[in-house]
Amino acid sequence: MLGIVDLTVSIEGVRVLRNVGFELQDGKTTILIGRNGAGKTTTLRAIMGLVACDSGTIWLDGEHLEALPGYQRARLGIGYAPEDRRLIPDMSVEENMRLPMLALNLPKRETTDRLDEIYAMLPELHVMRARAAGSISGGQGKMVALGRALTVARKVLLLDEPFQGLAPALALEYARTLGQLRKHRPDLAILITESTPALLDRIADRTLQIERGEITDSSNHEVQTCISSSTVARETETIVSGSKSMRS
Amino acid sequence: MSSAFIPLLLDSLASAALIFFAAVGLTLVFSVLKVLNVAHGSLYSIGGYLAASLSLFVASRGLNPYFSFVALLLSAALVAAVLGPLLEATLIRWVCGKSEAVQILATFGLFLILEDLQRIIFGVQSYYEDTPMRLMGTTTLGGVVYLNYQLVLIGVALAVIFGLRFLIRHTRLGRLMAAVVADREMAQSIGINTDRIFLLAFSLGVFLAALGGALSTPTSGIAPGLGADTMVLAFAVAAIGGLGQIEGAALASLIVGVARVTAVYVAPEFDAVAPYAAMLVVLLVRPYGLLGTMKIRKV
Repeated sequence: MLGIVDLTVSIEGVRVLRNVGFELQDGKTTILIGRNGAGKTTTLRAIMGLVACDSGTIWLDGEHLEALPGYQRARLGIGYAPEDRRLIPDMSVEENMRLPMLALNLPKRETTDRLDEIYAMLPELHVMRARAAGSISGGQGKMVALGRALTVARKVLLLDEPFQGLAPALALEYARTLGQLRKHRPDLAILITESTPALLDRIADRTLQIERGEITDSSNHEVQTCISSSTVARETETIVSGSKSMRS
Repeated sequence: MSSAFIPLLLDSLASAALIFFAAVGLTLVFSVLKVLNVAHGSLYSIGGYLAASLSLFVASRGLNPYFSFVALLLSAALVAAVLGPLLEATLIRWVCGKSEAVQILATFGLFLILEDLQRIIFGVQSYYEDTPMRLMGTTTLGGVVYLNYQLVLIGVALAVIFGLRFLIRHTRLGRLMAAVVADREMAQSIGINTDRIFLLAFSLGVFLAALGGALSTPTSGIAPGLGADTMVLAFAVAAIGGLGQIEGAALASLIVGVARVTAVYVAPEFDAVAPYAAMLVVLLVRPYGLLGTMKIRKV
């Protein structure tokens, strides 16, 4: 379980996150919703150790992360797919996905096993595995970034705006993949940021709202049944969100 | 014709090899750490001083003269093992990520310190110890006498080119280095200990520079000022080749080597200017260097 308590982050003197706190439960998918600039990406970057925290704590299964160097996150089982993909263009798709496992110095056997598992979940990656990452489309790149994050995401998977800029067909495909992923990895804690929650209703167990660096709202979808439209979902949230404390 | 051309070619290649050792380290450090180390030339001359001192020690003790080859390699390894981590963990890490002006000023300060330290430790007289060169002997072919040592220099330079290519494409360390070069932050988030990669890449750069300096002493000796001369040449080569390009550095070393040696043969008074004339011509045609590419700013 990954938890954040009273996290405050400033970037160049501007306070970007204020006392942010929530927990990601194993086996649950949490959606972090907010407008551009609300602090979604910074929240993920803080978890990954890519920005320094002013105060607050981040822990994973009882271990404090904020004092550890950034590269330790992958070793601890946190996978991260940034919004802008960040693939290495002159390496092949498979090489890009192998890099995290190479960094962790995993045995060859383990590396092949994990790749096979990912190819089973995301067959389209198997088709394009030999292509240069620079030659694939942005949408395909999102899939590769997801695959790469999954190679090390043994406990937590962080996806930053995975639907941003995806063509509608690809977005549906991606949402379907996330559903598949849940079946393959029932224990994984997943955090997805989005500015529009429409596509995520069916896979979200829990929704958090972030506004100007503060978590304003949280709702547990388990108490709601049969939410088909996102508007209904958002209305329900406001009703359900009685408790602001996320540390239950 | 060939009797004049072949020695010129051989001299050019040997000269190119020595420049290449300095330039490839500079360009490697720049591509991985994004730091332009102005003190890089000093590491070349420190390697030279240490190699000359060790070789003289071997000779003075009457040890097997072949130990002087060991002394050359050992001195480069020693400089890399001591100065690499020491400089990287202190000044270089501090300037990492700072503006270019700060990097250049700070490493220029380091250059001044290293130059004075060399004067204090090794004195201001020149060292000349040519045992390795004499041991290799000469080859006479078609009436022209070649120094076998020059062939060795060219061989070692080729080995470094292929060794580096192999390192970067086929080894774990090389792949991780390539990832850090491509995207430092991404590299960190997928589990790469970037600090460790910086340290290893910097030390490798120091080793290559010190190796160049060590290998240069048997043919040309060493005297104060070598560090500065080397630095300027290495910059010219890195600029011609495109900063951060290993093959570019090799090609550019060749151009500078040929330019220099041709000037020595044909018009010795232009010896010092020739490398920059070559640089000027290349940069007029290709402003980002032979293999350099324009960096497009991401919006």
